[in-house]
Amino acid sequence: MSEILTKPTEKKKKKSTAISDVRYACAVGATNTVVAIKGAVPIANCSPGCQLKTTAMLTFENGFQGSVAAGGGNMPSANSTENDIVFGGIKTLDQLIKSTIKIYDGDLFVVLTGCTGELIGDNVPDLVSKYQKAGYPIVYANTAGFKGNNLFGHEEVVDAIIDQYVGEYKGRKKKGLVNLWFETPYYNQNWRGDYQELARILRGAGLEVNVLFGPENPGVEAWKKIPKAQFNLVVSPWVGVRNAEHLEKKYNQPFLHIPEIPVGEEATAKFIRQVVEFAGIDNKKAEEFIKQEASIYYYYLEHFSEFFAEYWYGMPSEFAIVADASYALAYSKFLADQIGLIPKRVVITDNTPEKFRPAISEYFKNNISEGVSIDVDFVEDGYIAEQLVDSVEFTGGKPLILASSWELTLAEKKQALFFEITTPSSETLIINRTHIGYRGALQFLERIYSASVGGK
Amino acid sequence: MTTVENREMRLGTIIGWDGSAKELIKQSAYDDRRDGKKGNGCGKGCGSGCKLCEIASPLNQETMCSNAIVQCQIGNLTDCVLITHAPIGCDGETPKFNLTMHMGLARRGKPQQNTLNMSTNLQEKDMVFGASEKLRAAIRLAKERYNPKAIFIAMACATAIIGEDIDSVAEELEPEVGVPVIPLHCEGFRSKHWSTGFDVSFHGVLRQIVEKHPVKKQKDLINIVALWGTDWFTDLLKPLGLRVNYLLDNASFEEIRQASEAVATTTFCETLGGYMGAALEERFGIPQVDAPQPYGIKGTDAWLRAIAKIVGKEKEAEAFIESEHKRIEPKLKKFREYFKGKYGMVLTGSAYAHGLITVLNELGIKNEGALVFHHDPVYDGAGKNQDTLKELVETYGDIPNYTVSKTRAFQLPQLLKRSKTDFLIIRHPGLASVAGHLGVPTFALGDEHIPVGYDGIIRVGEILVGVLARTKFNQALQRHVRLPYNDWWFAQNDPFVLSNDEHVFDEIEERLKNA
Repeated sequence: MSEILTKPTEKKKKKSTAISDVRYACAVGATNTVVAIKGAVPIANCSPGCQLKTTAMLTFENGFQGSVAAGGGNMPSANSTENDIVFGGIKTLDQLIKSTIKIYDGDLFVVLTGCTGELIGDNVPDLVSKYQKAGYPIVYANTAGFKGNNLFGHEEVVDAIIDQYVGEYKGRKKKGLVNLWFETPYYNQNWRGDYQELARILRGAGLEVNVLFGPENPGVEAWKKIPKAQFNLVVSPWVGVRNAEHLEKKYNQPFLHIPEIPVGEEATAKFIRQVVEFAGIDNKKAEEFIKQEASIYYYYLEHFSEFFAEYWYGMPSEFAIVADASYALAYSKFLADQIGLIPKRVVITDNTPEKFRPAISEYFKNNISEGVSIDVDFVEDGYIAEQLVDSVEFTGGKPLILASSWELTLAEKKQALFFEITTPSSETLIINRTHIGYRGALQFLERIYSASVGGK
Repeated sequence: MTTVENREMRLGTIIGWDGSAKELIKQSAYDDRRDGKKGNGCGKGCGSGCKLCEIASPLNQETMCSNAIVQCQIGNLTDCVLITHAPIGCDGETPKFNLTMHMGLARRGKPQQNTLNMSTNLQEKDMVFGASEKLRAAIRLAKERYNPKAIFIAMACATAIIGEDIDSVAEELEPEVGVPVIPLHCEGFRSKHWSTGFDVSFHGVLRQIVEKHPVKKQKDLINIVALWGTDWFTDLLKPLGLRVNYLLDNASFEEIRQASEAVATTTFCETLGGYMGAALEERFGIPQVDAPQPYGIKGTDAWLRAIAKIVGKEKEAEAFIESEHKRIEPKLKKFREYFKGKYGMVLTGSAYAHGLITVLNELGIKNEGALVFHHDPVYDGAGKNQDTLKELVETYGDIPNYTVSKTRAFQLPQLLKRSKTDFLIIRHPGLASVAGHLGVPTFALGDEHIPVGYDGIIRVGEILVGVLARTKFNQALQRHVRLPYNDWWFAQNDPFVLSNDEHVFDEIEERLKNA
């Protein structure tokens, strides 16, 4: 932990758990996980305001990604009233479900209950089971905001769909078929492009990829296919591990957990080999793919190296990153290990569960790159995160700060090159972008060094 | 009292109604309500309270709440902290209000800064054991971090249900932190319409910030109850020798404090400004400007004259009005020619919609339909000239399809089916993107002052030229992307069929019964 967190003034009083400048939505924001499945309709059983706030955080002030289908303004929501709080909200929810079924084109309906329904003790499972018995494809998840953030909510929704919709399966598994558990939809601004790049890489390696979210998700049939897969692949420091453990028990399905999202040729080649080895499939196709991708990657990188060598107007040599665990790790690794930028501060803001923190800390300490080691801070409080970056004495010209829009004014103060890589992001518009794998890494370099050219 | 009575109780606000604007005026009985008489109520014999008829909808969609409104008002003060006493999700919109803050500060020529916001970040155990200790710690932390001029506490659904006593905590901590600690009862479920959040915000500042004993009067200061819009009110009021005092967004503690020293209060929107204006009049004798809102030529003329009368600048006002009419005439003529035969539709809050439709009429754009997110049959402390809907209809004619419905995007196909329109003007998130799927361009009006005054008509005209050009995008989208509703829904003509047809759910109910 850094010195700022333990300064004497903070020690005297009972530590406040209050935080400034939030960087994630609450569990009921997992409505967006549902929106990421083609044909699935979220039914938000919560107060008015809840969904607009999560939409603001995850889809709007987050690269202005926008939403699709039954997301955003189209999302059914109970908008609980005082009457519901006093007399119970089941009738309101029943009407909401009925009318949603009546007018939406939906293959799967997911009821997400927020703070109000959970606190007043509405029996949502009982109500939803009536619809289930009548044959409607509908499930429920407990996603009260006081239970956790949208990453927690995402895992709750995934388990709910598996248990209540996918159901039992005793059939055979298909060799080479992998379920891809990757980013929490909408949480990272590049998630759509990242899903496509990672799926492309896995297919290139010779695997059949079951894409459960995003532009390449074919719909709810992908979810029905989950139990048939040979294994589950979790690419994240922690999100989704709980789901994979659940699937392991439920379907006797093994999982491979790779904490590091691969960025750049070397990391991606390593990633492919690790997955192929776990799958036990023939590696011929994978090796050919790696060879071909490497040849293209370095074709571009050699061109880039001219700029890197010749640009004599200055460029950053140090960086600080404030982001969720997945991207803090993936981007830091690439910048430190492949480009040679010096990490000066890494702040992880996604409220990583305690049990995963030691492994992540260890990674930054001993595994990021030869000769590079840094202590990471796990801080959800934006005020402290900002102080941690502010207290860094950068040397060697303008530093690079990769963070959220909360850090915009700080970056100006530090005279840093800055761009947003995490929630919230209000200075960036993203349609289809990726900074991972082969293609994304090159885009990442473009973005970093575009920020440093032109007299900036 | 730290709480404000909800709008639906105080004013009779409704969020579901469908008919002609003329009929709604009749049912609203503004003048009777102003005089304290009961209005024309719903149903036989007008029951207690004489509520307007209201259509309840079984289907609602993503929308705003009073707590979010407090964040957009109080959360945008430059030197006060807003603590949201809630689980983390209730702060989800703060990044958006931070962007709004930056935009607003730039528009008003103030230095850039982030919003001063905190969440008590409550967890499950707090729901069981209470969270007052966390609130106390947060108040102390707010003082330590930001050294603010005041600390506000916003209630949320979860904290209201578990019975957090924010009033007592505020009272207890105020002497310790040495600045006003102001409780705001704005939990989302409390009022069916978010605009109660405006009243809650104003109530808080009136109780604990606005100077209670205004010894000096600032004869040239006029309060403008606003959001974060560009400072165009100065152009309108400088000729009358007035300086503007914008409340509340982007304001400082001092700007709020001096509200009771001003000479009058006015607003760009009676929905927003009513409570503050009425309270300042009642407590400090500062008159609310009893005039139509400053939209269109007739409205702006009358509004200026009413202000001029208060400050004794009638002559100056007449000269200004005359020169302004002449100045905009050529441009206006061009626009009226350009927009000939065009239809528009406004989808915003109630009184503001009346202003916008006025501006469209001035531009020669017809309005067959309109959607307002709520309807207030009367405003707080309303003057006889502030009946905005009546003013609109009497000046420019009836709107046959006048719908009251709170951000129910699913009704857009029906609304667009029955009223001709070439574009939509929309405030509040969620609707514009949905409407954009239906082949019609949308103008998301963020800077609320754009349509104000004489130049406002021209500004809207200029923007609409660009909006209409964007029809190409919306038509392309319509050709390839479908909204998530089924064929049955698209075939319906009544936007309220789910409420109006008692057999609409028969098939589903049958299936549930037989399961």
